[in-house]
Amino acid sequence: MLTNKTEALALVLPAAVFAVAVFLIPVCILLSEAFRSDGSWSIAAYVEFFSKPLNQTVFFRTLKLGFLVTAVSAIVGYVAAFCIVGLDPTSRGRIFGLVVLPLMISPVARTYAWIVILGRTGIVNKALTGLGLTDAPVRILFTETAVFIGLLQLFMPLMIISLVSAMENLPRDAISAARVLGASWPQVFIRIILPLTREGLVIGGTLVFTGSLTAYITPAILGGAKVLMLETLLYQRVTVANDFLSASVIAMILIVMSFSTYMLLKRVAASKRGAQP
Amino acid sequence: MRKTLLMAFATALAAGPAQPADKTLTISVYGFNQDTFEELLYAPFEEICGCEIVVETGNSVERLAKIEANAADPVIDMAVISTHDALAASRKGLLQPIDVAKLSNYGKLYDFAKDPLGDNLAVGYTFYATSIVYRSDQVAIDSWGDLLSEDVAGFVAFPDITTTQAPISLYMLGKALGDDSPSMDAPISAIGDKSENFVTYYARSSQLAQLFQQEEVYAAPVGRFAWSRFAGSELPIAWATPSEGQTGGVNVMIMTKDNGNEELALEFMDYWLSTEVQTRLAEALVDSPANSEVVVSDEAAANLSYGADLVDSLNMLEPSVILDNREDWINTWNEKVIQ
Repeated sequence: MLTNKTEALALVLPAAVFAVAVFLIPVCILLSEAFRSDGSWSIAAYVEFFSKPLNQTVFFRTLKLGFLVTAVSAIVGYVAAFCIVGLDPTSRGRIFGLVVLPLMISPVARTYAWIVILGRTGIVNKALTGLGLTDAPVRILFTETAVFIGLLQLFMPLMIISLVSAMENLPRDAISAARVLGASWPQVFIRIILPLTREGLVIGGTLVFTGSLTAYITPAILGGAKVLMLETLLYQRVTVANDFLSASVIAMILIVMSFSTYMLLKRVAASKRGAQP
Repeated sequence: MRKTLLMAFATALAAGPAQPADKTLTISVYGFNQDTFEELLYAPFEEICGCEIVVETGNSVERLAKIEANAADPVIDMAVISTHDALAASRKGLLQPIDVAKLSNYGKLYDFAKDPLGDNLAVGYTFYATSIVYRSDQVAIDSWGDLLSEDVAGFVAFPDITTTQAPISLYMLGKALGDDSPSMDAPISAIGDKSENFVTYYARSSQLAQLFQQEEVYAAPVGRFAWSRFAGSELPIAWATPSEGQTGGVNVMIMTKDNGNEELALEFMDYWLSTEVQTRLAEALVDSPANSEVVVSDEAAANLSYGADLVDSLNMLEPSVILDNREDWINTWNEKVIQ
């Protein structure tokens, strides 16, 4: 008779073999090419990649937009999550459903909708000119702003879901107690809410940041070639230049950035937990 | 009795491989308009040859990579592709000459389509003109150089360097600037200097049509194959006839090396090049005919690249120039335009 552990391993084995055979090994082979030069191991491809000004620009732009989207998602997400958690169960379910709804719509359809909304004749520019804030329509499409808006809308629901989950476990009395004792709302947030919901923030932050780094459709459609990001640069290298070496380098950079962010956020959360009395 | 049995056996052997269901032709084509191709080309040919056509689609790089990966035991029998991609395949030794003596419709082709790569390594089956579409109520376009004028600043788009339209559009812009050298330094630098004037560098003509519709763009180079997207608009959109002329490109058929299915592939190529099929495809606004005997309706002629005069007037860029310089153009573009 099999033990529970053996049974568990037996059940996991087919999926593990499949994942290793058709995903992990091919990916390792592909990525290892980026560490080979003249038949030996080398990081020459990475040095070459970062020596080009365009690649540096694209790298830092990707990083910047990833951080911005994550930061704004966290700020808006905390407000939204706080409001959602405070609602009665029926309203909470409805609002939560609205938050999740965009995740069920194709990113392509959502991104194309932004082309209409952010265009010269779109609702944003009509509102700006109608309110007298600008004399003429503002160029938003094919700028970093458009990519930022698209990514924010794409990934913010993930942050809100994570924070709502974390806040549901937050003792409501803690906030009331802090307020009674004279703490201001900023103090309540920094001293009570933030420490007690950091797990949700880490999970949400990781999902949003890695999602922003690796998204292709939104930067390609809303930014186009004028706002190249690492993913769109990777596509260019593969489909036109047939340059799989540079593509492997970019893929490895994206993987390292994603893992580093996850490890960093996890460490921050762990260190804060350890520092607590 | 013995003789009868032998004859029956021989007949069965002879009939076996020749049975219609056993013949399969695997082709590699662009993914566009496959429903129309199925109706107008594949299905009628399957009836004629009693064979089955297996269609593989994808972008050029994917399809070429697949042909290269299976070079030792080819899966694809024939493919259609751009001239410079065909040249790339040829240089890798993936192609074999097409026996044009077995193409009964070969003599009907325009000269540019007959042997675009040399050594009969390819046969052109369609072509397209490329010029500038523009909003006639907003701007006037008389030259490729007008793309850089202040009149269209902030409302002009250009094909991204990764597209097939970019090299030929840069070539014509270079002509307008008085420097059409293969390096493309002059036109790329000129675009880089005025990059703020360009709304975007588009990747697909469908995307460009939407930007015209939203009045984001007033002028952009585009292939004639996409003209119907603009012609149907309620906005006043015109097709420019620049003083430097129009440019264009050719798509070709190629035969993979040692595929073992050459006879059927040739039969299919010949059928595709026939006046009947080329007319059908032109009337459906799918492909401009490379067969000079094709006569199309006024509507089709207005939407396609059509006629001997147009063919003669196009400023084509040699496939070898595109292939030999594409990597450098991308680097220069990235450095001067995107940077």
